[in-house]
Amino acid sequence: MEEIIERKPFEVQVGPQHPALKEPGNFQFTVDGEIVTKASVRLGYAHRGIEKAAEERNWIQNIYLVERICGICSHIHAMTYCLAVEHLANIQAPPRAQAIRVLVAELERIHSHLLWIGVTAHEAGFDTLFMYSWRDRETIMDILENLTGNRVNYSANLLGGVKIDVDGEQKTGILKGIEILEERTKHYLNIVTTDVFFLQRTRGVGKMTQRQAEVMGAVGPTARASGVARDVRIESPYGAYDEFRPNLIIEQAGDLEARFIVRVKELFESYRLVREVLDRLPEGELSVRMPRRIKPAEFAIRVEAPRGELFYFVKSNGTDKPERVKVRTPTICNMTTVVKLVVGHQLADVPMILAGIDPCFSCNDRMVIVRDNRKIETIESRR
Amino acid sequence: MEIILDFLRLLIFPSGLFLLLAGLLYEWVDRKLLAQLQNRIGPRWFQPIADIVKLMGKEEVIPDGSNKWLFVWLPIAALAGGLTAALYVPIMGIKPAFNFTGDLIVTLYLLSLLTLCMGLAGSNTMDRYSLLGATRTFTQLFSYEAPFMLALLGPALVAGSWQIDKITAYTQNHWLIFTQPIGFIVVIIGLMGKLELPPFDAPEAETEIVAGALTEYSGRGLALFRLGKGVEMVVGLTLVAAFYLGGVSNPVLFLVKTLALLVVVAVLQAVLSRLRIDQTVGIWWRYGALLVLVQWLFMFVGQRLTL
Repeated sequence: MEEIIERKPFEVQVGPQHPALKEPGNFQFTVDGEIVTKASVRLGYAHRGIEKAAEERNWIQNIYLVERICGICSHIHAMTYCLAVEHLANIQAPPRAQAIRVLVAELERIHSHLLWIGVTAHEAGFDTLFMYSWRDRETIMDILENLTGNRVNYSANLLGGVKIDVDGEQKTGILKGIEILEERTKHYLNIVTTDVFFLQRTRGVGKMTQRQAEVMGAVGPTARASGVARDVRIESPYGAYDEFRPNLIIEQAGDLEARFIVRVKELFESYRLVREVLDRLPEGELSVRMPRRIKPAEFAIRVEAPRGELFYFVKSNGTDKPERVKVRTPTICNMTTVVKLVVGHQLADVPMILAGIDPCFSCNDRMVIVRDNRKIETIESRR
Repeated sequence: MEIILDFLRLLIFPSGLFLLLAGLLYEWVDRKLLAQLQNRIGPRWFQPIADIVKLMGKEEVIPDGSNKWLFVWLPIAALAGGLTAALYVPIMGIKPAFNFTGDLIVTLYLLSLLTLCMGLAGSNTMDRYSLLGATRTFTQLFSYEAPFMLALLGPALVAGSWQIDKITAYTQNHWLIFTQPIGFIVVIIGLMGKLELPPFDAPEAETEIVAGALTEYSGRGLALFRLGKGVEMVVGLTLVAAFYLGGVSNPVLFLVKTLALLVVVAVLQAVLSRLRIDQTVGIWWRYGALLVLVQWLFMFVGQRLTL
């Protein structure tokens, strides 16, 4: 009798709890030896119902709620929400407030990118770079604490302005910190472009062509590393960005090395912007009066968060509460690229490719149900 | 009387209790150095001991689908291999407890026992990470083992004996690091591969496969494997120091030379990022093995010329 040996695919589950994932998410990889042949993602472990909760709170309370969507880029969420609500209420924050918002946003980008360098280096088993970049990140955390009083949720925004001002002492403190960081960042740029052992793990790994990036809707530094010229700060400036203009950082290679280079170079761009804002900080009021109720209207805004394009849709209904707040964070746009790119790579490269998009799982978890001919589709069944 | 002495050698010194403690101490030095190089504070001196004591006190969970007998005995065999190997090397600069012709080969195989046991322990469970880790452990074993052995046989060749005792007697007057530099580089990197230290930590890369082959181990089994690694580190460093760094004829020289080697190992760990398993294999077979063969070629030519 002939024995039939069936070769079952060897599936490796990564997550929801796994040392490589600092937040819960589940990935299923079918591997052939070390090579990944199939990958799928399952999200939603950290869904917190924030969009629904926003409908239960008034305009002011919501600032504090949306600020807590993301622990890394908290300011950009509050700022975007405030920009949208201000637009609905037809008021505009004073120029000094706008500039301070940009200042905090850029400081936040610096902290986010430094954090990312560390995390991705750790995924590659390069713990020295991880420790060094996180040590240097403390500089920016201290600056933020000095400026706003908080290390994580800065709570700098108000509807109609900002809460914080920058005095001369803080200005010198920031400039000093930025100077130290610029020196360090030059060193990191040197490491990520010349360290032979590290380049073995990044060069040519997770390569995404420009076409792929466009089709899969990649955003932010991930897309820019693939040659997609897309930066919301430049193509549709919001707040004070039409006055303080960043330069577009773009790389063509599309691999992990390019993503490192894009993010490190963006750090330099952020240092320049911070200096420019401090240099040309407009004088004047910090906030304007904001009505309690807002007439029915709706507004969609997109901004450039550290991880990429962040989208907010806010709808008012004449009361002091929003009718709907819709948030789309950059991670969800980039997540498809991970599932696509890991196929054909080694299992060892997977954590790096995943970390390469700078994922934030609790930001991206959304419940989307599209009812179509009684067939219920969620983001999950559409993957 | 002789029997009592033998038992003392087995249980107290040079093998046994002394070596276990020495292994933990060396582990601490390694961790502390690495931490300092990475701008961290690092553990206090008793941390490795505290880890072992804590692990010993924990419940050992034997997962379903694994052979219980193997699961329990593999860690013991691994530690026993390391401890036995220590009997043939000059620990603390004192003459090896036992010796016979060809004990170098036996020692090298005893040192491989730990890796073998870890691989088997990984294959023994149903866990995906363990299986992948075991595959990687074996792959790595097959890649560094041959160059590592060839590099350690270099000193044997010039000493004209395969007995560790006689080789060390020769190397005490000859710093082979200068006459066989390639062999030294290969052997020190081979030792890092053996101990699965970064950059050769792909078999236990936590961001990829959690703890590799030992993922399912907890409590006593894990503690024994860790003790085994500490022991192997001491024995390995002793061998390298004795063969390449002009011998270890007294305890002071022993400590100075092995700790100096440990500093080199720690620096290498700090400055290099992890290699993928295919890159590890590539490095060893493309460069490691070839370099050692070149070294051997030089040695043969040199011997012919001097004769």
